[in-house]
Amino acid sequence: MGKKASAPAFDILEHSLVPKHELLSESEAEELLKRLNITKQQLPYILVSDPVVKRLGAKVGDIIRITRHSETAGTAVYYRVVWRET
Amino acid sequence: MSAYASVTSITFGILSPDLIRKMSVAEIISPDTYDEDGLPIPTSVMDPRLGTLEPGQRCKTCGNTYLSCPGHFGHIELPTPVIHVGFAKTVYELLKSTCRSCGRILLSEDLIKQYSEEIRELKEAGKPYRYLIYRIKQRAMNEQICPHCGEKQLKIELEKPATIVEMAESGPARLSAGTVRSRLERIPDSDLILLDINPATSRPEWMVLTVLPVPPVYVRPSITLESGFRSEDDLTHKLVDILRVAQRLRENMRSGSPSPVIAELSDLLHYHVTTYINNEAVGAAPAIHRSGRALKTLAQRLKGKEGRFRLNLSGKRVDFSARTVISPDPSLGINEVGVPLDVAMQLTVAEHVTAWNIEKLRELVRNGPDKYPGAKYIVRPDGKRVRLKFVSNLDELASMLEPGYVVERHLQSGDIILFNRQPSLHRMSIMAHLVRVLPYKTFRLNPAVCTPYNADFDGDEMNLHVPQSEEALTEARELLMVEKNIISPRYGAPIIGVIRDFLSALYLLTKDDTYLDKNELAVLLGAIKYRGAVPPPAVEKPKPMWTGKQVFSLLLPKDFNHSFRSSFDNKPVVIRNGQLLEGVIDKAAVGIERANSILHRIVRDYGPQKARELLDKIVRLAITFIDMRGMTFSLEDLYVPDEAYQEIQQIFRRADAEYLKIRERHEKGEVEIPPGMTPEQAFENDMLRLLSEVRDSAGKAVREYISKDNTAYIMAKVGARGTMLNIDQMVAVVGQQSVRRERISRGFNRRVLTFFKRDDNSPRARGFVYNSFISGLDPIEFFFHMVGGRDGLVDTAVRTQQSGYMQRRLINALESLYIDYDGTVRTADEGKIIQFKYGEDGVDPAKSDHGKVITPSTLITAVLASTPQGTPASKDYVSSKLGEKADILPPSIIGELEKALLEAKASKEAVDRVVEEAVEIYISSRAEPGDAVGVITAQSIGEPGTQLTLRTFHFAGVGEQSVLKGLPRLIEIVDARRTPSTPIMRIPLTPEYAQNPVKARRLAKQIQFTKLGDVRTEVTVNYKRNRLEFKLDEQVLSERGITKKDIETAFKSYEAVYDPEKAVLSVKLTDEMFANLGKVRERLEETRLKGVRKIRRATVFKEGDEYVIRTEGSNLREILEFPGVDWRRVETNDIYEIAEVLGIEAARNAIVSESKEVLKDQGLDVDIRHLLLLADMMTVSGTVRQIGRHGVVKLKSSVLARAAYEISVQTLMEAAARGEVDSLKGNVERILIGREIAVGTGMVTLLMSHGKLAGGADGHKAEP
Repeated sequence: MGKKASAPAFDILEHSLVPKHELLSESEAEELLKRLNITKQQLPYILVSDPVVKRLGAKVGDIIRITRHSETAGTAVYYRVVWRET
Repeated sequence: MSAYASVTSITFGILSPDLIRKMSVAEIISPDTYDEDGLPIPTSVMDPRLGTLEPGQRCKTCGNTYLSCPGHFGHIELPTPVIHVGFAKTVYELLKSTCRSCGRILLSEDLIKQYSEEIRELKEAGKPYRYLIYRIKQRAMNEQICPHCGEKQLKIELEKPATIVEMAESGPARLSAGTVRSRLERIPDSDLILLDINPATSRPEWMVLTVLPVPPVYVRPSITLESGFRSEDDLTHKLVDILRVAQRLRENMRSGSPSPVIAELSDLLHYHVTTYINNEAVGAAPAIHRSGRALKTLAQRLKGKEGRFRLNLSGKRVDFSARTVISPDPSLGINEVGVPLDVAMQLTVAEHVTAWNIEKLRELVRNGPDKYPGAKYIVRPDGKRVRLKFVSNLDELASMLEPGYVVERHLQSGDIILFNRQPSLHRMSIMAHLVRVLPYKTFRLNPAVCTPYNADFDGDEMNLHVPQSEEALTEARELLMVEKNIISPRYGAPIIGVIRDFLSALYLLTKDDTYLDKNELAVLLGAIKYRGAVPPPAVEKPKPMWTGKQVFSLLLPKDFNHSFRSSFDNKPVVIRNGQLLEGVIDKAAVGIERANSILHRIVRDYGPQKARELLDKIVRLAITFIDMRGMTFSLEDLYVPDEAYQEIQQIFRRADAEYLKIRERHEKGEVEIPPGMTPEQAFENDMLRLLSEVRDSAGKAVREYISKDNTAYIMAKVGARGTMLNIDQMVAVVGQQSVRRERISRGFNRRVLTFFKRDDNSPRARGFVYNSFISGLDPIEFFFHMVGGRDGLVDTAVRTQQSGYMQRRLINALESLYIDYDGTVRTADEGKIIQFKYGEDGVDPAKSDHGKVITPSTLITAVLASTPQGTPASKDYVSSKLGEKADILPPSIIGELEKALLEAKASKEAVDRVVEEAVEIYISSRAEPGDAVGVITAQSIGEPGTQLTLRTFHFAGVGEQSVLKGLPRLIEIVDARRTPSTPIMRIPLTPEYAQNPVKARRLAKQIQFTKLGDVRTEVTVNYKRNRLEFKLDEQVLSERGITKKDIETAFKSYEAVYDPEKAVLSVKLTDEMFANLGKVRERLEETRLKGVRKIRRATVFKEGDEYVIRTEGSNLREILEFPGVDWRRVETNDIYEIAEVLGIEAARNAIVSESKEVLKDQGLDVDIRHLLLLADMMTVSGTVRQIGRHGVVKLKSSVLARAAYEISVQTLMEAAARGEVDSLKGNVERILIGREIAVGTGMVTLLMSHGKLAGGADGHKAEP
């Protein structure tokens, strides 16, 4: 038999379907909002209850940078703001 | 100057009784409408003060005639209050959450404060707060005692449609509407905010009607029948009913009738008011017309496809349009349309008179409306319109023309019009054409544009619209012209191209043995209006002859180089310097849906104008040539020698023998039944395989005898019409007929036709047609053929409906997405970002080569050819050069270019040029700001929907897993159903298992879920020993690898013993368990013995060089934790599960790959960018949202947008209670009110600084 199922046997961040998620620093977040000329709520959301958010320990209002693997552009950057469930 | 204002927003609310009285011009009392003379009675519903409809009469209120009187409201004073049905639920909730005595919300002051604060915060931040309101309501409704006055609350119930019942101690008591109203009155404004009601626009007591507004007659016109009788509108009938009851009720109340009479009458009044508002209200019988038809009252007027929103607001009828039958005309250009003279004389174009066109327009005016190039109206500078039909002296009028006048002249050749064929499934369903006025009565179009319109000429009709304003004309010319739509944004390849016989003609022209003499050449050159030098003949003797390739080459640009493979024989086609050197021209060269064809290259490299000219000429050349040469297809083409038929008979004999063998093997049970199949299915599967082999080999046998010059063969191979399968069916054998992809099996008892023996499952008895269309079908075969044909028809009919609805939902969900100036994809109404770069690389698929922007090898070859060779640039140089452009070019292009440049050993100079050109190409391929990419996406996914198959359970692998595919699966994905109907997983294994089939199989057994019920054969109750005994199937146990230990652990919590010798599990029963023996047994049988829950079956497959497990049923969380599973690569098709376990980003990826898979499987070509946008839209909110009324559309902030989609009435009612404001920014709202939408060319607005303007030269203050 393989390894015994110890605490979390897997890390969702390493699953092939999950792209790279990073937390933006406050200044980076501000810069992004300024560049796009928007408020936070106009960004796509990611829920606080999202497994990846929990794993990263992000809070409501944080912005997460997602670096996706892209079929068209190679890699593509996406942003989501952590949002409370409504 | 006429004063006008534009609507900036619409506020929804409830009319207060005061307001209703204030806006009323007459109190309506009399239930009778007309007196003996047929004149309307004042104070009746036809009161003349409500406005007039009769020509010649003037309105008693405003004095206008029926044309300009807007109509005026009246009102009815109701003798008792009535609860408005639409607000019944709101009223009920309000009563439940407020105190019956003091009217305060049933929350302590502290809570009120806390919640108000939270709501205020959310509102200020513009965040959604519906869920909070829901929580507040729940909390208040469950409070028993009022925290403010200490009153005990009674239970309240809502009796549909609109009666409130209070459960007093003495029993249920109905609350009169008056009581309800006075309770609602007591609720203070400040508490209402917590209940999501805006007291400023909608006081709750207004939800109980005391005064009913009476709409003007304008809204409910009566019609006079031929017999002279008047027939009143449904609303009028209903109002009369209300008045009649109101009058009786009032009389009874005045005379002091007993209360049961009054109660009954007020119930009746309630009923009439309810049905007046909504005749489909739950709990109220619909009011019916004398004929039995249900009345169409207020709610019904708004609702559904036939309702106000969808019939009159989202879509409107237009002027300046025409419709007639279409017919083909290859002599027209592809961007032209033949317009019948009669049509041209009806439609007009408004032309402004200027110094330059005055003479021309004068001539038109002189001709008048009845002589062809004429005019119908002129508009004088003072705005007065003169209809030329009524002018006797046209010459005089013509001479009066001067700049400033507008002449509405007949449609003329060269005008731009919009041409459309329904269903308008994609943007190429409406294109701009140039008019060619022609005799006869049909619209004519070039057959090359049949594909985008999906038109044929079996009686199709099309619509034509004449744009009137300069803006509309410009937009039509610049964006909508046929040549600008040659490349489809759905897949980035031409959708307009040569079709049908024209392809056959081009093949015949360009094949190697086609030679033309001087006369023929002259005819062809004339057809394409060739003006240059005649090329030297390819053959000099005995007489000068030219090849067809030479003629075709004349159409190509002189510097055109290209090579690809033909569709006819998959051999190379080579073009050098505009000369077709090798190969034939067919669908792969100039046809539709082919990327990188000659046509595609010309459009991309030489522009749409050149491509249009090319297509025009190709079509003309083809028709001329085939007219000259002739092409027929006759029965003779389908005759093959007898040997072929003998061969086929041989095949049939072998097949029949094989059938007997298969049957015998199945009857004897010698066949291994694949898991998940019944023996019958396994047999059918084998038969289907056998019979399709039969048809294939029969087809193959015959093909050897079909000449390459056979017209049917040419048409099939060239892509003109038909396939090889059609030829096989005509010549060799028609083959198996099927219903729902199975052999035909229904009809009489155990047989399809009485002609057969019962249970005969031979090929013939189950719909195999041995004959070919040439040999002719016998009656039995004919019947089967018909059955199969009918199945096909039904399938198509069902499919069009389903895919139509899917498209409507897609459009509704995605319509407001556009590309902003910064390249982000946003929604027009809220400015929410959906994508940060359209399609992740910003490229418009319609400006790409099948989704690709740059093909490095082609680009580099082209550059190298024109740059002097030099020493290869170093890797560093290439990298740094490309690195400079990293902020412009997407990473994939940079990577590809780098690799290709190094491989090509390009010099520094070449590298510089390549990079420069790449940047240029990339920039010109980007989607433009304003592009309504959402609609394009919706169309690109919706349009091919009709081509998707319905009802397909695809069997992957060797008759193993059945997976839902095709349209149903696509709908499932966009619907975001919680669980797919066929959940499956693919589980790769760690190397230890992946290389070892035995271990892999053991693991599969570990995974497969087995419960006691799956393995037991009998159950007995042993009364002697108080035990329930399960006899287990030993064979199944060993198959699934279940050990004694597994069973014992599973029943640890019971007093259970397992005897492996006898394979009996006995469970001790307590007295309590005895009492519920049935339930206990069920529970025990549900007990898990082994495996992962929800995994119904796990099977090992070899994929490439590893073994993987595929499962039916999905349970991602547990599988990920399972030892031996390579969890990094585990896949499932359950999108919700992915969202829960791996997060929203993983779910987005899953949506993309699942939808891509469906389309790929069905052979449909849809650019990946559309799927990306769809997935991003479905996941913006952080959860997977459905494309439909509960998902994406519900999130829209606009009331009108939601109302225009589905559930109109309820949406409007809610909006009224909440006092919502629609800011009219989205597309739907703007279309409803008739304003330009804010995407595309409508996105451009003028911004100006009011501050700077304020002190302008003329001192005018800018209006805000």
